[in-house]
Amino acid sequence: MGRIVFAGAMSHVLDPDYYERVCGAMGRRKTEEAMAAIAAMGGRLSATRPDALVVVADDHLNAFSFNCVPAMCVRTGREVQRMRQDHAEAFDAVLEHMPTTYPLHEGLANAILEQGAAAGFDLALSWEAPVDHAFLAPVNTLHGTRPIPPLVPIWINCFVAPQPTARRCFAFGQHIARVVARSDCNVGIIATGGLSHFPELSVARIGETDSVFDGRLIHWMERGEHEPLQELGADELHKTGSHEFLNWMVLLGAVSPARADVRYFGELPRINLAAVEWRLP
Amino acid sequence: MEAALSRYAVNSVLYRLKKDPEFRARFAADPAAAIVDLDLTADERAAFVARDMRRINELGGYLHLVLSIPGLGVQAGRR
Repeated sequence: MGRIVFAGAMSHVLDPDYYERVCGAMGRRKTEEAMAAIAAMGGRLSATRPDALVVVADDHLNAFSFNCVPAMCVRTGREVQRMRQDHAEAFDAVLEHMPTTYPLHEGLANAILEQGAAAGFDLALSWEAPVDHAFLAPVNTLHGTRPIPPLVPIWINCFVAPQPTARRCFAFGQHIARVVARSDCNVGIIATGGLSHFPELSVARIGETDSVFDGRLIHWMERGEHEPLQELGADELHKTGSHEFLNWMVLLGAVSPARADVRYFGELPRINLAAVEWRLP
Repeated sequence: MEAALSRYAVNSVLYRLKKDPEFRARFAADPAAAIVDLDLTADERAAFVARDMRRINELGGYLHLVLSIPGLGVQAGRR
């Protein structure tokens, strides 16, 4: 019987240069602190010797554009490529020093897809979509120079309305947990993004965060109280800049009722950086 | 649905600017000429010609595209 052996969630623009440009010296310092906490989490992840690492993240209109925006998409195949962007800037630039190709766990990806169809989850699938910083910055920060296990990248549509609900994301995470339990794999799972930043996805509101709202989310995660999190509405997530918390909802469904430990929380003018790890049985 | 359709028009231009270097170069040289045949409102067209990324965002342009178009995104991202 397979099991989830590690669960963590973290911010995904892990680039001290970027945050120094937009937030000054404090931006660099807090990003480096967050990355150190995530690297320590990665040591514990690697110690579990996972057969696969499920990565739940979002697309920043890089992989799917406007020909199709899937609510939930599982990447299958043998390997996945890093997104390519000429003259990359802002959060895209962090990709340039990362490896270009990563192995996938095709068996687990296909099991999530196939069993999903039988369980009421008509998931999108892709053999070609590349992954951007939302996947690769956390994965590389977690592992450093250690080998990266085969990945199962999963995209949640966090930005293009209408998004899946928090409750639906949680239910999808429960589905992942059931698939893992039926497998013979030890699986790590991470969710990326957040915490609050870019409220209403508005240029005019860049520089605002919502620490009170983030505190509520953390309070519920620390206590394993997941019902109020499932009641979060799209409007509330949009106004507080918590769009990417939908990724975290998938992880919460997979590990519920496990309680979270905050490994790092750092407020910046641009974003509240966070790294969280769950206590698993 | 009207808002969604308008959102598509603006964002399809943003996406091409990010992912299509040839289109981006034509836009950099002459923005009005680069978008002359595209289905945009007068407001949208004016915002693109002015390279006003804040206004493009107000008109429905997705923030992550607005911030990350090479040569244009940083103007909106500085704060």
